[in-house]
Amino acid sequence: MDNRKQNKLVNFITNPKYLMVLATIGIFLVIYIAGIIMYGDKGFATLRTFMMLFVDNAYIGISAVGMTMVLITGGIDLSVAAVASLTGMFIAYGTTVLNIHPLICMAFAILVGVTLGLAMGAMVTYLKIPPFVATLTGMFLARGVCSLISRDSISIDNELIDKMAGWKMYFMTFSDGEWVKVKPVSYINLNVVLFIGMIIIGTIILQKTRFGRNVYAVGGNEQSARLMGLPVDRTKMIVYGFNGFCSALAGIAYALYVKSGWNLALQGGELDVISAAVIGGVLLSGGVGYMIGTFFGVLLKAVIPSLITFNGTLSSWWGKIITGALVLLFVALQQLVMSGRLFKKKKPSASHQKE
Amino acid sequence: MQGIEIQFPGVKALDGVDFTLRRGEVHALLGENGAGKSTLIKCLTGVNKMDAGKIVLEGKEIRPTDPKNAMDLGISTVFQEINLCDNLSVAENIFIGRQPMRRGQINWKEINRRSQELLERFHIHIDVTRPLAQYSTAIQQMVSIARAVDVDAKVLILDEPTSSLDNEEVQRLFAVMRDLKKQGMGIIFITHFLDQVFEMSDRLTVLRNGHLVGVYNASEITKLELVSSMIGKDLDEIFDLKRASIKKDAPVALEADHIGAPGKVEDISFTQQKGELLGFAGLLGSGRTETAEMIFGVTRMQDGTLKIDGHTVKINEPMDAIHHKIAFCPEDRKRDGIIGDLTIRENIALALQARRGMLRPMSRKEQDDLSNKYIKMLSIATPDAEKKIRELSGGNQQKVILARWMATEPNLLILDEPTRGIDVGAKAEIQRLMLQMCEDGMSIIFISSELDEIIRCSNRIIVMCDGKKAGELNGEGCTQADIMRMIAGEKDGETA
Amino acid sequence: MKKSRESIFKNKLVLAVIAELLILVVAGILEPGFFHVEYNATTGMLYGSLVDIVNRSAEITIIAMGMTMVIALGGTDISVGALVAVSGAFALKLLRWDVTLYPTPGDYTIAPFFLVILVPLLICTAMGLFNGVLIGKFKLQPIIATLILMVAGRGIAQIATNGKQFTTGYTPYRFIGQGSLLGLPFPIIITIVICAAVMIFVRKTAFGTFVESVGVNPNASRVTGLKSDRIIIIVYTLTGFLSGVAGLIYSSRISSCDSNNAGVNYEMDAILAVVLGGTSMTGGKFSLAGTIVGSLIIRTITTLVYYFGITSESIMAFKAVIIAVVIIFQSEPVGKWLATRQARKQKAGELRG
Repeated sequence: MDNRKQNKLVNFITNPKYLMVLATIGIFLVIYIAGIIMYGDKGFATLRTFMMLFVDNAYIGISAVGMTMVLITGGIDLSVAAVASLTGMFIAYGTTVLNIHPLICMAFAILVGVTLGLAMGAMVTYLKIPPFVATLTGMFLARGVCSLISRDSISIDNELIDKMAGWKMYFMTFSDGEWVKVKPVSYINLNVVLFIGMIIIGTIILQKTRFGRNVYAVGGNEQSARLMGLPVDRTKMIVYGFNGFCSALAGIAYALYVKSGWNLALQGGELDVISAAVIGGVLLSGGVGYMIGTFFGVLLKAVIPSLITFNGTLSSWWGKIITGALVLLFVALQQLVMSGRLFKKKKPSASHQKE
Repeated sequence: MQGIEIQFPGVKALDGVDFTLRRGEVHALLGENGAGKSTLIKCLTGVNKMDAGKIVLEGKEIRPTDPKNAMDLGISTVFQEINLCDNLSVAENIFIGRQPMRRGQINWKEINRRSQELLERFHIHIDVTRPLAQYSTAIQQMVSIARAVDVDAKVLILDEPTSSLDNEEVQRLFAVMRDLKKQGMGIIFITHFLDQVFEMSDRLTVLRNGHLVGVYNASEITKLELVSSMIGKDLDEIFDLKRASIKKDAPVALEADHIGAPGKVEDISFTQQKGELLGFAGLLGSGRTETAEMIFGVTRMQDGTLKIDGHTVKINEPMDAIHHKIAFCPEDRKRDGIIGDLTIRENIALALQARRGMLRPMSRKEQDDLSNKYIKMLSIATPDAEKKIRELSGGNQQKVILARWMATEPNLLILDEPTRGIDVGAKAEIQRLMLQMCEDGMSIIFISSELDEIIRCSNRIIVMCDGKKAGELNGEGCTQADIMRMIAGEKDGETA
Repeated sequence: MKKSRESIFKNKLVLAVIAELLILVVAGILEPGFFHVEYNATTGMLYGSLVDIVNRSAEITIIAMGMTMVIALGGTDISVGALVAVSGAFALKLLRWDVTLYPTPGDYTIAPFFLVILVPLLICTAMGLFNGVLIGKFKLQPIIATLILMVAGRGIAQIATNGKQFTTGYTPYRFIGQGSLLGLPFPIIITIVICAAVMIFVRKTAFGTFVESVGVNPNASRVTGLKSDRIIIIVYTLTGFLSGVAGLIYSSRISSCDSNNAGVNYEMDAILAVVLGGTSMTGGKFSLAGTIVGSLIIRTITTLVYYFGITSESIMAFKAVIIAVVIIFQSEPVGKWLATRQARKQKAGELRG
């Protein structure tokens, strides 16, 4: 019985499907523990530092949920940061300049995000335009419209937004007969709830619904998926639409985080999102990837600048270089997995069949 | 199906073809490439729209709009190329699109259990939770058949299901087919292996150029009659081939001494005389292609030595082989042969240009002359040399690839399955051409799965098995049984 | 058959030229002085919007020469913008070395001038080689392989200059982007020389055909004896080198380095120039002449939009609309639809005739 369990475990670890995710989690743990050993005395080991990884990167994580799905279909979306920035601009301009209720602004932003996502999806799906080009167009459009609205940064001055941004759930501890806040103060805010919620929703969609499995099939082999009778076009459209939704939601999270809208906000943010997904083990050629991997990809990418801050002497630019190196490492690892060294084909021999 | 008619721009692909399939029969669909088999299948599965005619299934007229719709109507298809997603698990490939659900969620346990059961009917015992990519082509083929069978179909279409299977696997597939037949399923069986047609099918329908030639009972027609009905040519013309004659004192052109690449092929030794046609026989995956790729430098030769005209040579990549006047027409034409978007002219000139190096470009006139010469010599059916190669039929593409290599004027030509997937007429032409080139002093290594073709053309035959050389036979007076015995003998020896 | 096929390909170039002319006509109507070109005897340089357009398009045109072949290989290079920043940063680093020792910018250089030019170019070429090796040898997807340097490149540029913006007044260096020769701004001269060199290299040797062949089917090309990986490496290395040249021109223009903003979105503009020039994003056949026209179109639109008083950031919205139109017309389904429509029209015409 024990033996069988062990076998199952070995099977699980050697299964190339999970290997990339395990690698991400492993590297995250190694770096995090190394950080605790090196800068534990400076407070790296605290719950606050850990929770700030979530608070400071929630918007990247939310966008990465949609991006993961797009990447699994074998596509890519370069417009996410521009759409998020546009969302921020809608909220800032709408609430502060036009005095529109913030919830209406948000709803409008989400509507625009989904529409743009669907439009790009249609270009990719029906016009067979490479996703890279189609979404580049979307990115230009979103950034351009954003600049047309305002060239200056608009800070948001709205009661409800303040309330939403200010909502915090503190971690408490029981001491001296009463509940007190953990020191140093650590909390989760609305963005973190959105981030974790989206990761869970994304996981359920991908693993537990037919639609989610179709996403994998489309990314694995679109032609086959079509011949197997799967709704390929519809799947791709929904994925791009959903990604537009995620981009807009990330924009809302970002607006709550910085409480302003700016046409140049999040420049290059699409790369942060894509590299987080890649570090999380999502294969850019499509067909392989897990939400949980992306989740740890975001954390792994977040822990590096955090470490650099704790170091204090290193230039913050090393963060970019290390991220680049991590992407290289993971891509190399993926290549190794896919090249067949671990994915070795098994031809069942005669003895195999007699078992 | 009655009076099916379908038109493509400019061509009538199918013209008034009737086709009837009875319950519980295996019905073979035969014809050369371009005869309309695939088109007929595509109509049935809703990939192509019909211009005229109707499809009647169990008395009701149906109009499939796409493969999914056809599947729902009870027509299930296994296409020639494996149409599965190899990133998904074996089980998921069988059930995707119709997963059993439980409380709004996919029931993975059920999927895995039922897949396991299903595959056990095929006597395949594998871990169904592993990605499909980890398994061999044969297993993948079986999985796609399992998927098609499980949907409770009334009609099962098998398009060349055996082309990637070895004999044992073919027999296993046949057993399943007989099983399904007993359950009353009608099976349309498309294959170019005539022996299998006679082994499995009850009736056969022959198409030619989009027309119906005839419907026969398998027991009432001979192989020869069948072939002649398929190609509509004189049989004598096809089978009148003369083996190349080698001069007694012809020098040794190629000598392989214990060459090998661990994990693929090992310990291969043979010699080849100038002007000799050396056949390589063996099952798929026996190391035939791998040996050829090693000689040409596509895969690296790690052991042994290779001598050309008595000199030891080192071949690390295709370029080295080309410089030693070796040429290689690969097995997978689409993947390794044609450059689809380039013109016939560019495709023909490419190898010669590669040998010359990029700094000595061929002039446009040189290219034109070269391509026109070969278009004429090989009678490639095209209006001119500026047509994109992917717009040609398979046989003509093969000729262009052949022209590409003939243009380099090689001493040794390696042909890996040059006649696969092309029609019988073009096949005969290519065989004749090979023999002609041997007469002119070229040495040819000829790899083919079709034993009679190898026997007919080769001076000597090397039999491969499990990545090793199983033996050598003389082309003259050798029978298919000899070759098969040699393959089988080696296998027995191993298990004993 | 032969003629129609070739004319379709040439048509794309013709279409691009017509588009450019149309935009110029619009510009001429809106701004009567648009075509005015003036020779200034004291500076010895030609002035005018037209000269300006060609001058300002230099960086993109130069990068797009390499990008054309990258795209013909079925790839993309999104690191070119970052490489522009790297090139400028290293050039200024060599000119100023350490700002704490030499705090004021002036007409001097610390390192010899040839090193100021050579080192950035070598670094960018090496980075191009890095891209090429990852893609050619290790078979990484181009977009992800070049993503690495796109992310890390700007970091490297920042670290080279300690995150500071250096300024220089060194005359020979400023000549690269601001000087003139034979009455033409020097960047134009550089562009002409580079375009000519690349075109000769590509079309007078078999390199162009090899690139197209590998772009269409790398496997078959290898079996045919082409060294696919070597060709891929050459193309990406060349693109790296060209980005370095563009980086020198850009930093010389502004007499300083700006690792944050130098070359931002250049990859997008270069790709756009290639696509506008009629080379398909899916790889295969390419046209360098088309790319040059494409680059001019982008610059002309940018210039024109300035006349409307629209900010530079919002130009992106216009670019987006233009790309959308172009790629939609280039796309396969629309192409097929147009072709069948044309055929039907022709048929109708024949019947009537």
